[in-house]
Amino acid sequence: MADVRNRFPSSLLILSIAAVFLSGCSPKPPVEDGTLVIALPGAPSGIDPRLATDAYGAQILQMTHASLIRMDTAGNPVPDLAERWEERSPTEIVVRLRDGLRFHDGKRLSSADVRYTFEWILDPTNRSPHRATYEKIRAIATPDPRTVVFHLSEPFAPFLTGLVRGIVPDGSRATGYSPPIGAGPYRVDDFQQDTAIRLSRHEGYYGGTPGIERVVVKFLPDSNVRFLELKKGSVNFVLNGVDPDLIPTALESGNLVMEEAPGSNASYLGFNLRDPVLSDQRVRRAIAFAIDREAIVRTLWKGHADLADSILAPAFWAHADGIPPVRHDPFAAMRLLDEAGYRDPDGDGPKPRFRLTYKTSQNELRRQIATVIQEQLRKVGIAVEVQSFEWGTFFSDIKKGNFQLYALTWVGILDPDIYHYAFHSGQFPPRGANRGGYRNPEVDRLVEEGRREPSREKRKGLYKKVQVLLARDLPVFPLWINRNILVRNRRLSGFVITPDENYTSVKEMVILGEKGEGK
Amino acid sequence: MRGYLLSRLRQMIPVVLGVVTVVFLLIHLIPGDPVEIMLGESALAAQKEELRRELHLDRPVAVQYGEFLLGLATGDLGTSFRSREPVLREILRRIPATFLLAGASMVVALLIAIPLGVLSAMRQHSLYDHLSGFLAMLGLSMPNFWLGPLLILIFSLGLGLFPVSGYGTAGHLVLPAVTMGTGMAAILMRMLRSSLLEEIRQDYMRAACARGLSRRAAVLRHALANSLIPVLTVMGLQFGALLSGSIITETIFSWPGIGRLTIQAIEARDYPVVQGCILFIALCTVTVNLLTDLLYFRLDPRIRHE
Repeated sequence: MADVRNRFPSSLLILSIAAVFLSGCSPKPPVEDGTLVIALPGAPSGIDPRLATDAYGAQILQMTHASLIRMDTAGNPVPDLAERWEERSPTEIVVRLRDGLRFHDGKRLSSADVRYTFEWILDPTNRSPHRATYEKIRAIATPDPRTVVFHLSEPFAPFLTGLVRGIVPDGSRATGYSPPIGAGPYRVDDFQQDTAIRLSRHEGYYGGTPGIERVVVKFLPDSNVRFLELKKGSVNFVLNGVDPDLIPTALESGNLVMEEAPGSNASYLGFNLRDPVLSDQRVRRAIAFAIDREAIVRTLWKGHADLADSILAPAFWAHADGIPPVRHDPFAAMRLLDEAGYRDPDGDGPKPRFRLTYKTSQNELRRQIATVIQEQLRKVGIAVEVQSFEWGTFFSDIKKGNFQLYALTWVGILDPDIYHYAFHSGQFPPRGANRGGYRNPEVDRLVEEGRREPSREKRKGLYKKVQVLLARDLPVFPLWINRNILVRNRRLSGFVITPDENYTSVKEMVILGEKGEGK
Repeated sequence: MRGYLLSRLRQMIPVVLGVVTVVFLLIHLIPGDPVEIMLGESALAAQKEELRRELHLDRPVAVQYGEFLLGLATGDLGTSFRSREPVLREILRRIPATFLLAGASMVVALLIAIPLGVLSAMRQHSLYDHLSGFLAMLGLSMPNFWLGPLLILIFSLGLGLFPVSGYGTAGHLVLPAVTMGTGMAAILMRMLRSSLLEEIRQDYMRAACARGLSRRAAVLRHALANSLIPVLTVMGLQFGALLSGSIITETIFSWPGIGRLTIQAIEARDYPVVQGCILFIALCTVTVNLLTDLLYFRLDPRIRHE
């Protein structure tokens, strides 16, 4: 008996250690089990298409909730749940649904579900952050189960982009972390906020059963951990989540491959046009000339970015070609500053022409970029003080106009109507995002016309003029557009990288066998 | 004993209220608008005003504070601006992970600190003592943001023993617990060593040895228990800190604890959740301190007699 008592704790200890080891060790990498494991740099606040606003939520919804339409790589609307649509008049849009659509629970998806989804968002008591997107909807009619008619209060060209919104079943309530079901290629099996979401394929998806059976999306905020998970094989797909510095090391093993494609998120330098120094267009242009964007892209982004001439990506349908690029020219910068009356008081000496503050977030790479720009501006005689803040404080300052220079990135531009929001003189914060206080009656007229004009070709012409005017006035200086970088297991195939980091094509993916054959 | 307990419980109320009040004021003073964060920049001004009214954010801070206290008295911590879940549910959901990690880290710390501290004291100035002193310095000097990835590199990538990150199995617990427990082990070990050295030099130890007890038996049976009292104080403080969550460790290992919830709530200016989390942290800290004091009663008869 005494023996048993003495031995028990050590046996228990050994058993516990064995249990820990066995439970912790995955017998084989997930790709062998037919599982795609995606890492996202953050956790979504929720997975309800009517409420989600963060990028992570939107990316998961692209796999779980189908919309009436979706956007192709050039930003053109293409059918999703809708079979077709037509504009009977500028204020009446008729959408015809595909036949045989089903939600994850097998129930039919009809026009009533579509109407419910949009009416739920428009109901003020539901406090949907997307309500403003649909404020032009006057009524929604459903003459039959496959037809939805949107009646608008006035012509609104960007309306179609608003139809990229996941449809939920009639009667779905908002229930915090329990997402409503959808009709996308994957259903949600388990959502552990802060940790991971598990999805399995929807057999009744209208586009055919997806190739990969299970998808796990892990929320890994630490970039080193994302890299280590990739190296270990417990994550096999990371889009824009691996530090440029770590990519060569990630690819060393041979199990991982990298793909790169143009992106759409444009970084820019914002100027406060209310500032006496920065109100002078020559000063803004001099700053643009003084910044060596090529050097920053080469050294800090390791070449994974393209220089920008507009806040719209070159592949986007409304992007204007032929805008003269701003080349790095410190001598031209100094000449312009002299012309503007800001002569260097002591030549190469320490005294600057004038001082500016540059606000940025606490992101390490953004701070490094700020430091490089600080040094480049010092060379033309502009002293810059870099101030980095926690995101909430930084963004609050920008919106209040409490800045001279700041750097930010436009994310998720779906329509050129962004120019109305960001540069119209009636869109100063808090109403809009004209944070620098830019005023140009010609731009105001063009962007107002652009949002009323139904013809895409005519809109393109209008926004081309806007882009030319903005390139002349430089209320903001477009810096670069980051390229989208996918690091994935070499056996995963079929994903199409879109400029807007869309996960829609996960449904097209397959896991190839060891020798490259389909599995 | 009962009188003491009641008086300590009475003292807890102003401490917790004080902490919650300071945090309430601070979170309302820092820039950042929860309505803008919830609705996005493109929301209509009228919509923002409507929501601000609905969330009572248009009222003076003093009125909001009064409402918060009233809610607190009825056990209602409010609703998260971000997830629209009741704050209490948000916190309760994170408690198992928080307690699990804190408990496991403490176990790791004790498993390292007690044997090393005792051996170090018993063999003062030996090579072993110097080595354990060096290890303690190393443990204290290694920041979690460095130690965590290092452990992953060795035990997860190199040896393949544990998962890199996540939550759910016992294997997921090991590396975060070791990361958090190492620094604490170093403090406890040095504390135990110095406290034990003092006890070893007491007369009763000499008497015990004179009665024929071996030095080892005398230390383990008599000196160790007495030397644990100051260690217990540090343990209590450290455990309170562990329960408040380690944002860095939780972020590295993708651990769904209270620390990550707090930081996410601060970033989103989710006032009710920030207040709820701070209340939880304050309550944990004062409760652990109270329990530590109560343990003194059990361990030291002199305190009981006082």
